[in-house]
Order: sequence, then C-alpha cells, then structure tokens
Amino acid sequence: MTILTMRLMGVAAACAIFSINAVAEDSSLTNPAISAVLEGYYQSAERPMSERVEGFGLGHTEVAMSANIDDMFYGKLTAVIEMHDGETELGLEEAFIQTLAMPYGLSMRAGRFLSDIGYLNNQHVHTDAFSDRPAAYRAFLGSHYFDDGVRLSYVAPTDLYWTMGVEAFKGDNMRAADEHNERDFKSTGVYTAFTKIGGDAGINGSWQAGLSYLRNENGRMTAEEHEYAAVLEEHEHSHSAQYTGENTYVADFVYKWAPNGNYKYQHLSISGEFFRVTDFKPLEEELDENDAYGDEGKDYQDGWYLSGVYQLSPHWSAGLRYGQVGTQLMLDDHFDPQKLKETEVSLAWHQSHFSTVRLQYTNQQGSNFDGIEDDNIITLQYVMTLGAHGAHQF
Amino acid sequence: MRINSKRFLTRGLKVLALTLALGTASNAIAGLNIFTCEPEYAALAQELAPDARIYSATTAMQDPHQVQARPSLIAKMRQADLAICAGADLEIGWLPMLQMKSANAKVRSTDQGLFFAAEQIDTLDQMKSVNRSMGDVHAKGNPHLHFDPKRLLGVAEALTQKLTQVDPGSAAQYQANLVRFSQRWNDAIPRWEEKAKPLKGKKIIAYHSSFKYLFNWLGLEQVADLEPKPGIPPSSSHLASLLSRAKQGDVMAIVIASYQSERGADWLGERAELPVIVLPMSVGGNEQSVDLFSLYESAIDLLLAAK
Repeated sequence: MTILTMRLMGVAAACAIFSINAVAEDSSLTNPAISAVLEGYYQSAERPMSERVEGFGLGHTEVAMSANIDDMFYGKLTAVIEMHDGETELGLEEAFIQTLAMPYGLSMRAGRFLSDIGYLNNQHVHTDAFSDRPAAYRAFLGSHYFDDGVRLSYVAPTDLYWTMGVEAFKGDNMRAADEHNERDFKSTGVYTAFTKIGGDAGINGSWQAGLSYLRNENGRMTAEEHEYAAVLEEHEHSHSAQYTGENTYVADFVYKWAPNGNYKYQHLSISGEFFRVTDFKPLEEELDENDAYGDEGKDYQDGWYLSGVYQLSPHWSAGLRYGQVGTQLMLDDHFDPQKLKETEVSLAWHQSHFSTVRLQYTNQQGSNFDGIEDDNIITLQYVMTLGAHGAHQF
Repeated sequence: MRINSKRFLTRGLKVLALTLALGTASNAIAGLNIFTCEPEYAALAQELAPDARIYSATTAMQDPHQVQARPSLIAKMRQADLAICAGADLEIGWLPMLQMKSANAKVRSTDQGLFFAAEQIDTLDQMKSVNRSMGDVHAKGNPHLHFDPKRLLGVAEALTQKLTQVDPGSAAQYQANLVRFSQRWNDAIPRWEEKAKPLKGKKIIAYHSSFKYLFNWLGLEQVADLEPKPGIPPSSSHLASLLSRAKQGDVMAIVIASYQSERGADWLGERAELPVIVLPMSVGGNEQSVDLFSLYESAIDLLLAAK
C-alpha cells in the first residue's frame, strides 16, 4: 500500500514537472516573464540633477517580472538596484496591477507605476537613446516620475488613435522642499490628466502628440527656506523632482520614419517635449512684509528638448539632442533665475536588439545653475537585457 | 489662476462619458472587424469572411519581428472583434503591448477573439532549449508557416471555427466559404507541385528561415543562411565563408524575402555568379501577389526562372 502511494506520488511529481515545462514556454499563462537589465558606465564628469557619478558606475540594474495574474488582471514588478556612495539601494520602480477585461476601452492600473504624462516618462530608461533623461525631466520629474496611485484610461474606438486618462498619486517625490519638517503636506499630492492622439502618415511614417497636466498640491514652496541650495546638495541622488510648482503643463510629440515602414534596417525617430511649471512661489499671505518674492523674476519655470535618433543599420545608431531648462532658485529675499543648456551627440553599437554599447558627448552650459561651469562630458555606457523579450512602446 | 483639481477631475469624467456614448454609437456598424498581424492572414480572412472589415498590421515589405506598437495599430486593435496572428512568439516584441494599450477585452486571449495560426498545426524546427547566444530563435518553432499549403489549409479550417465562435450568426456562410476555398486550394496544390518538380533537390542560400516551409514542401535544400545567426544581419566574415561555400558550384540561387536587405545577397551573388531572387514574403510582396493563390504562383515562377 505504502509502495503504491509512493509510486503514485512519483507519477504525480513527474506530472507536475512535466506540466511546469509545458507552461514554461508561454508567459501569458502562469509562468511569469522574467528579465533583467544590466547597465554600466564611465563618465568623465558629473552632471547636474543626474544619478550618475564621475568615473565608473553602475546605472539602473533592473530585475522585472510580469504575467497575467488571471483573466482579469496583469501584474508587473520591477526592482531597481542602485549604488550610491558605496551603499547598495534596492528600490521598487514598478509594482502594479492592471485590468485586462474592462469594457468600452477602459482600463485601470493601481500600485506603483510610471505616470503616463509626456512622451518619455512612461518609457523605461534603458530604452532611451541617451545616457540621461533631458534636463527638463531631471529638473521637474526626478528623471522619471513613478509613484503609488491609480490610473483610469480610456481608448476611443476610432481609426485615429485617441487615448485619455486621469491619475492620482501619493506625490511624496514631488513635494517642495521642507527642511524644517513642519509643513502639513497633503497625503494625495499629485493629480494628472493626459490625452494623446496618433496615427500613420503614409506607409513610412507614424506620429503621436500629447498634452498633459499635472497638479501638485504640495508643489508650492514655502517661505523661509534659507538653506535651499544646501538641501539640493543632499537630495542629489534621490528620485525626487528638484523644481516643483503647483501646476505643470506638458506638450509632447514624436514622429518615427522607416522606409516602407520596415524597422529592420533604417529608421528615424524625432521627438520633443515642452514643460512649463507655474505657481511655485510662496503665497503672498505667508510672506513677511519685507519679502518681495512675487514681483521679481519670471513666475514660471520651463524646459524643452528636441531629439533625433537615426538607426543607420541594424548594428549602428546615432542621436542628436538639444535641451534646456530654466528654473528659479529661491534665496533669502528673491528668486534667482538659472539656466542649463545641453547639447548631446550619441553613437551606439548594437550586436542584437538586446545589447547596446554607447559613446556619448555632452556639452553643458549653465548660467548660475547649481554652480556648474560649462563643461564637456564623455560617457561610455552599456545597456543589455537578458531573459524574456519585453515588448516596447512606440 | 488656481485650478480646483476636483472640479477638473469631474469635468474630465464628463468628457469621458460623452466620448464613450459617441464611441458605442459609431461602433454599431455591421460586419466583423478583423485585425491581422501579417498580410497572409488578412488574405486568408478575405477568403473566409469577405464581408468583414479586415486590417493588416504589417505589409510584406516589413519585418514582422520588428514592428512598432504604434498608435494606428492600437486604434485598430481597439476596434477588433478578432485578431489573427502567426504566433510562435513572432510578434512577441509588439503584440503584447498592443493588447495592453488597446484595452480590448475581446482579443485578449485565445479562448475568445485571439487566434494564433502556429497553434493550429505542427510547426517546423521546434526546440527543446533556447539560448540567446543562438540568436533570435523561436522555441515554439518556425512561425513563417503560410508557405506550406497543407498546413495553411489546416489553419483555414481552425480559423473557420474561430469565426463561427466569434460570429455564430454567420456560421453557415463561413462554412460555405471554407468549402469553396478548400476546393480551389486542393485543386491548386497538385498543379503547383507538378510545376515545381524541376526545383526538387536544388540547393539554395537564403536569408533567415523565412521560406523554410516553402523549401520543405517543394524539396529545395537551404545549404546556408545569409544571417550568421537568426536576427543578426550578415557580417563580412560570414559572407566570406558563404562565398567559399557557394564556390563548390552546387548552389542554384540566393533567396531573400521582400522585406530583407539585398546588400549582402547582391555582394555574394556578384562574386559567386549566382542569381539573387527576391521572393514575396506575403501577399503584396510584389505586383503579382494579390491573394494567396497568386502569392504561391509568383514564388514558384520566380524560383523556376532562376533555374
């Protein structure tokens, strides 16, 4: 009897092993798609608001797992391991669930995820054609804005692609500085609304354009931040946005071109985004009579970039990007305008579409920006993905 | 200017509700909405459901491995009642993104309006274990199966069942269309085989395993691949080794697909004095290929011309 049971157990175990093998092929069933991104670099100098340091370093080392949970939900988990000052930090960049079967083109996402505002923000950093996000992203969104919250989106049943959505987030990383820990922040700080339209322009080209609005309840600065510059220094390696305001407006577009729409050999990608951040100055009623923040300087901060990337052959691609950001630094009794301009050229070699080695030249020109001087920076970087073949966004 | 965020959200929701109402109204136009990943399945759907509104995500001039999950495709998939794709991971780099972004519950799983051709038949070259150092290979076998007439007929039969499942009201019509298609197709197969007899046993150098099923069916032998590894474009050292292989003198021609670059093939063809044949990868790959029948005719004619 015992022997029989043992045998049956053996058969059952064999069946279990077999069935695991059978489903292992398809990530859409019970087996999750697991992938990792390895990234390393050498950079000749430090860049403002960047997570990269001078010399050798590891970038976003990322492990991701995703699968359909059941017929209603999809889930994804992305853990990021970063090195800062000799310390290893484990961060969660994504941990979300998304509905799969809501009617009328609706879908909901909840948990931690990348906000769908702008063009680049919901793309993973390792798919970028340059080593760092544009200065505007680094200044206003902490390179890429991900947070804990919910999203509701809708896709219209039209031949012209039209999507729109609203999001609500905790907004901790988007809070204005609070060095005295005495500010009463709202627990749900960020609301966004976005819409995108897109389509094809002939057989060779495709385009998308979007408008986004981000409301940041905790984005306005408070008075008496005398050591603001010092605070910045400390937060240099965090994911927090460094220049915030109550209202942020983003306009974005992207155009992609490939001969006959065939992306195998050559293709061109042109994209640009414009940011405007307003309502960042401390409210008048909070100010002492002697202070005069409101009258001096611009009452908005802005930034934009324009990027063109051309894949010359399956092995080589080259990119050119110009971007600038203009922010206002709060000092004792007034705001100081500061500006950063970046011109970047990158050349990348791809052995397959899973491996990239990139050489990048950056010319940065700052006027009063975090005290940086004009500089030429060389970055050598590799980005490689292993494991499951992820699907890329447009 | 201070915008009240709550009021902003309510207004957003109202706009949303309005577009919803409009959307459902415009969707009420009769006829099945079919999205296909490749043009061969658009052509097959055309045979079985001629009244449907059919859209192909790619053309025969585009590499189906590398397609952008672009806005127009999301918009088309959003409206689809049925999505037909080759499967076997051919579309793994873009189809899941389209499904996610289009938020169309109908084409989410193969239990409903999603159909993978490769799941209906036995694919060639299935692998027990796959390693990236082998290149971009598919463990589930070669997905370019539309050049095998018998396998394609099997797919047509399964697709008829799927059409019936999605649109039961027109079941009799789909069945009648299948019978008509099968008859014409079964008549054509021996005709093609007779015509292609002189190709039997001939050796060719080809790009990727794009025409594996065609060669397998007609008895051609692919002795070398222009790609050093699947998905990796021809390198000069690899081309040099192909040249020495070609100099053995037993190779009939170099074959590439309509979306593949002629550069490596032309280089080799010139030096090895071999003809370079550009075969239509699918319907629309050349002027002659307007449906599945003329696609097969054209491919066989082009191969025969090189002999």
